[in-house]
Amino acid sequence: MLRYVLRRLLQMVPVLLWMTMITFMVMQLAPGDYFTNLQLNPQISRETLDRIRHTLGLDQPWYIQYVQWLWSIVRLDFGFSFAWQVPVAWLLGSRMVNTLLLSLTSMTAAWMLAIPLGIYAATRQYRPGDHLLTVLALIGISVPGFFAALLLLYVAFYTGWLPIGGMTSPNFDLLSPLGRVLDVTHHLVLPTIVLGVLSVAGLMRQLRGNMLDVLRQDYVRMARAKGLAERAVIYKHALRNALNPLVTIFGYELGGLLSGAALVEGVIGWPGLGQLTLEAVLKKDLYLIMGSVLMGGFMLQMGNLAGDIMLAYLDPRIRYE
Amino acid sequence: MVSPTPKRRQEPRPVVRGWRRSLTVLCRHRLAAAGAVIIMLLYASALFADPVAPYGPAFDDKEKFYHPPVYIRVMHEGRLQRPFVYNYVLADPGTRAYAEDRARPYPIRVLVRGDAYRYLGLIPSNLHLLGVDQPARLFLLGTDQFGRDAFTLLLFGGRISLTIGLVGEAITTVLGMLVGGIAGYYGGMLDNILMRVVELLQGFPSFYLFLFLSAIIPAGVSSGMRMMMIIAILSLIGWAGFARIIRGMVLSLREVEFVQAARALGLGDLRIIWRHVLPNTYSYIIVVISLTLPGYILGESGLSFFGLGVQDSWGNMLAKAQDLTVLTQYPWLLAPGVFILLTVLAFNTLGDGLRDALDPRAQSS
Amino acid sequence: MTRLDARRAVAAVVALAVLAAAGGAGQAAPVAPRLPDIPVPKVSEGGPGIRGGTLVVSTISDPKTFNVVVAQETSSSAAVGPVFEGLVEEHGETTEVEPAMAESWSVSPDGRTWTFNLRQGIKWFDGKPFTADDVVFTFDALYDPKVINSFADVLTMGGKKIAYKKVDAHTVQFITPTPFGPFLRTIGIPIIPRHKLEAAYKAGKFMQTWGVNTPPREIVGTGPFMLTKYEPAQRLTYERNPNYWRVSKAGTRLPYLDRMVRLIVPNVETARLKFQAGETDVYGIRGREFSAFKRDAARGNYSVYEGGPGFGIEFITFNQNPRGAKPPKLGWFSNVKFRQAVAHAIDRQRLINQVHAGRAVPQYGPESPANKLFFNPNTRQYPYDPKRAEALLKETGLSRGQDGKLRDAQSNPVEFELNTSAGSSDAEATSRIIKDNLEALGMKVNFLPRDFNLLVSKLDASFDWDAIYIGLTGGVDPHNGRNVYHSTGSLHFWNPRQKQPATPWEAEMDRVFDGAASTVDQARRRQRYNRYQEIIAEQLPVIPTVQSLGQTAVRNTLGNIRYTNYGGALWNIWDIYRKR
Repeated sequence: MLRYVLRRLLQMVPVLLWMTMITFMVMQLAPGDYFTNLQLNPQISRETLDRIRHTLGLDQPWYIQYVQWLWSIVRLDFGFSFAWQVPVAWLLGSRMVNTLLLSLTSMTAAWMLAIPLGIYAATRQYRPGDHLLTVLALIGISVPGFFAALLLLYVAFYTGWLPIGGMTSPNFDLLSPLGRVLDVTHHLVLPTIVLGVLSVAGLMRQLRGNMLDVLRQDYVRMARAKGLAERAVIYKHALRNALNPLVTIFGYELGGLLSGAALVEGVIGWPGLGQLTLEAVLKKDLYLIMGSVLMGGFMLQMGNLAGDIMLAYLDPRIRYE
Repeated sequence: MVSPTPKRRQEPRPVVRGWRRSLTVLCRHRLAAAGAVIIMLLYASALFADPVAPYGPAFDDKEKFYHPPVYIRVMHEGRLQRPFVYNYVLADPGTRAYAEDRARPYPIRVLVRGDAYRYLGLIPSNLHLLGVDQPARLFLLGTDQFGRDAFTLLLFGGRISLTIGLVGEAITTVLGMLVGGIAGYYGGMLDNILMRVVELLQGFPSFYLFLFLSAIIPAGVSSGMRMMMIIAILSLIGWAGFARIIRGMVLSLREVEFVQAARALGLGDLRIIWRHVLPNTYSYIIVVISLTLPGYILGESGLSFFGLGVQDSWGNMLAKAQDLTVLTQYPWLLAPGVFILLTVLAFNTLGDGLRDALDPRAQSS
Repeated sequence: MTRLDARRAVAAVVALAVLAAAGGAGQAAPVAPRLPDIPVPKVSEGGPGIRGGTLVVSTISDPKTFNVVVAQETSSSAAVGPVFEGLVEEHGETTEVEPAMAESWSVSPDGRTWTFNLRQGIKWFDGKPFTADDVVFTFDALYDPKVINSFADVLTMGGKKIAYKKVDAHTVQFITPTPFGPFLRTIGIPIIPRHKLEAAYKAGKFMQTWGVNTPPREIVGTGPFMLTKYEPAQRLTYERNPNYWRVSKAGTRLPYLDRMVRLIVPNVETARLKFQAGETDVYGIRGREFSAFKRDAARGNYSVYEGGPGFGIEFITFNQNPRGAKPPKLGWFSNVKFRQAVAHAIDRQRLINQVHAGRAVPQYGPESPANKLFFNPNTRQYPYDPKRAEALLKETGLSRGQDGKLRDAQSNPVEFELNTSAGSSDAEATSRIIKDNLEALGMKVNFLPRDFNLLVSKLDASFDWDAIYIGLTGGVDPHNGRNVYHSTGSLHFWNPRQKQPATPWEAEMDRVFDGAASTVDQARRRQRYNRYQEIIAEQLPVIPTVQSLGQTAVRNTLGNIRYTNYGGALWNIWDIYRKR
């Protein structure tokens, strides 16, 4: 296993190289660059823009630009954002914790709910509880996250129970340490519901389906026939096997911890990476995009690796060599 | 074979009485059947949108935009009548509030002459299932910003959204199963290579791919053609994550006895994968398909951003309706959301029934 | 507050020295109010107010930089708007240019030399005095080719910069290469402190200096509010500048407010909820929200202010560029009657009703009726008239056949693509209605929203397009539109960067714009610009549609609100106070 992990870690380098190179290339194919936006600004002449592009090397072929970018990455320099004129690393760093906080809470909430609910629904197939959960789950996946966020904000506005978006109250600085924790927690509830609870739907339905499958398998019947307690049958034997596809999903979600959900963040006003990246992508803020692709690609592969390791742990029959 | 339902077995309580059991079985088949009926109705209404819709897709009433759904009434001046509607007049131009003009009832007529169309591009006709005389309008689900009948748009929009969902799912599923199956079955080097490709697909921003595509799609491409391209794009991006999941399941499945047995019999690898390994993932795949369907229907609207979308699809109609002004003043414009939900519900119940039917161990009666 | 920027150009005042205190001092108070440290403070014309209180507003996105010279977007310039100021400023209501950090100015008889007397006693937030050196430094920086900014090109005439020099510590002189009509409106550039930025500038790092990662206390200006805190993607906090150089008529040092908070709320719907919940004090109402907001005004304890039409222009334009458009389209599009037919075919009332919920007015010429100084109401009008449109089309040789399709003399069906920027729902709705209107005449219009960058590359490089619906922001001085209407302009959409004017009317327009730019006399400039509006309305290289009306809701607990569409609700931020 250790050898496998080491090899996977080594494989990350070429994958990241390809990933960033393809991104650079595709960006070149799509029309315009960051400064195209300024071309419709009557106050800035074409000559000025051409000069800027030349200074920043944007008039060079993409592979030259790519090699230059790679070289700076090797020296751990992520470059400057065109739009912000501050280092990309600072920008990403300034929002990383917020995104991590939100994704961790929503991911935890989602999995803590989905697993028991999935088991519950599977063991009570076609009974009212199952039907209710099914309908709720389907509503959950049919409502776009963006709209769900807006609806919940509207509820927050009407009831006054929850703050209308944001991560902290304006008087945050004046609060005691405990007060600050409570304040952030209060602000976390709504986005956690949107991102976490609504994603319960998919996980729960998948677990339910798999549990139903597994519960029909011969070895489960055997276990029951041997007189094992139902709890033991479900948690020791069935669940373990039903979790297989969910573990892959779990690994993928781990990889996405730093991705951030741009649209929901936007509606809620959560100061996360999603919005930052989306804006960068829309504006073609080259080095900021490359920074986040690099980070995202690294996280994705780490997450997938974690998923694979967990898969092997869960099912000893699985071998990678 | 007297195999009792697995449900009975996992019950904590001892036995379900006979009549209750049949009821459960019946109920469950009914649900699946109901799902199937709803799906057929949805597709049929999309297919027969021209005659079923009260108006044509190009119809608009410039004066009656943001018109609420009409009340279908049966009582006029205290007397029972065949179903009718009143004409609506604008009460407040600011908030676009309308009021019924109770002076005259306009009975709802069946098979009326209205906007002309060429059914399936061939049969010219102007017959519509339902209609009312002017100046009243049969706006069953109200009108949009331009005064177009929302119900009519929904039927026509269904053609796009219901197709995109199904075809997209089909491509994704087949691709995902193939790649996932091969990677999981062979493992080792091949698995590594395929999974790295999957990661590449997941990791680079597809945004620019869309931009690039939107730039090269020539002008005057028909909307049907554009729709096919959208489906292709959505599913080409969508299969990667799915393939990884299938691969994870296959990694485990390839070790079970019957696969080993098939291998011992000397069956070809692809045959084993396709005929023996992958069928064990079917019931999971059915669940996933019914779960990811709304993603396709809604995802299509995101492409409008690049000028790749198809106008007046359910996704686009819903995307335009997602704000507080609509929510508080014109909530009927959220109807596409209800239709999407209905579709997903129907597919899920049908999926549940299919799952049971596919599972050889679940033959209950 | 209105940030004076170069695009808003001007009405020049010839050889006129305006004294700052002249405004209210004459009638109301016999003695002009004074401040101990500032000999001639600017006396604000606003009503009396009460000191103290916090103002909370929301903004759609983060500032991208605190460096006001290189700021490109409104989100950045608005964030540092209350921090930095220029020599002159535009009045939010009259749009006239007034003294700000300069107490007065004069211009030489040849209209080329402008001398500004700086207001004495103004201090930067860190206590250092504001002097002519700061002004000179600001211009050094913005003329530096390495510093990307929106000011330099506007302040360049025929490739030549404006010469500037320090006369003494409180006098600065500018000499333009030629007499420059819009000078006053372009000179109100926010002044930055030399003592803080010179080192970075000399090191070639000016662009990266004062980025958003700078501690806010370092951002030193002279404005009414000091930036004290920036929490990325959350909020900006400001505190009152205790040494501000404005004073009320009653002699109170301004501003009245103690603090100001600018919440960063990326979603407009969320911003609306925050206003309705009482968390913010100001909300810019969109047209379709207007009725609901008016209805709920009393309950929400706010008032809805109506600011009339805005500036700028929204229009549809046809490609007349032989380098891009091909026959037969080129023939149709370059025929003025065709464009006039289109102008008559557009149902502007429908646009107003369905796109703007009644909150817009028709516009037929290039300048908005809101432009009090330059709008010419006597241009050709194009009321909705499909019959007239059809007749005009017939005159160009386009007529409808048996099948209802419009065809030209060679029986080519009239079919073309109409693009607009994808993602803007109003632009898409407008384009749809225009398509509807034109198809009613028998044309076939393929409406396709396009990604903005793609649109720009079509307009600017490949010239491969038929018709585009697009909008431009505008300002007071029509000189702002030079790049659009002058035949050499790069934004001369229909046929950009011409070597020689392609048509007689474009030649005349070139003369109008060149003449008006080098005239300092306001009345003569106005005459020339009247002519330009007549030409555009007659020739319709751009076919204007409607001009939306502005409206804003402001909490009733705020006083001295003088909302205008041009200046916004906070242009007189120093006068605004919180009622008790």
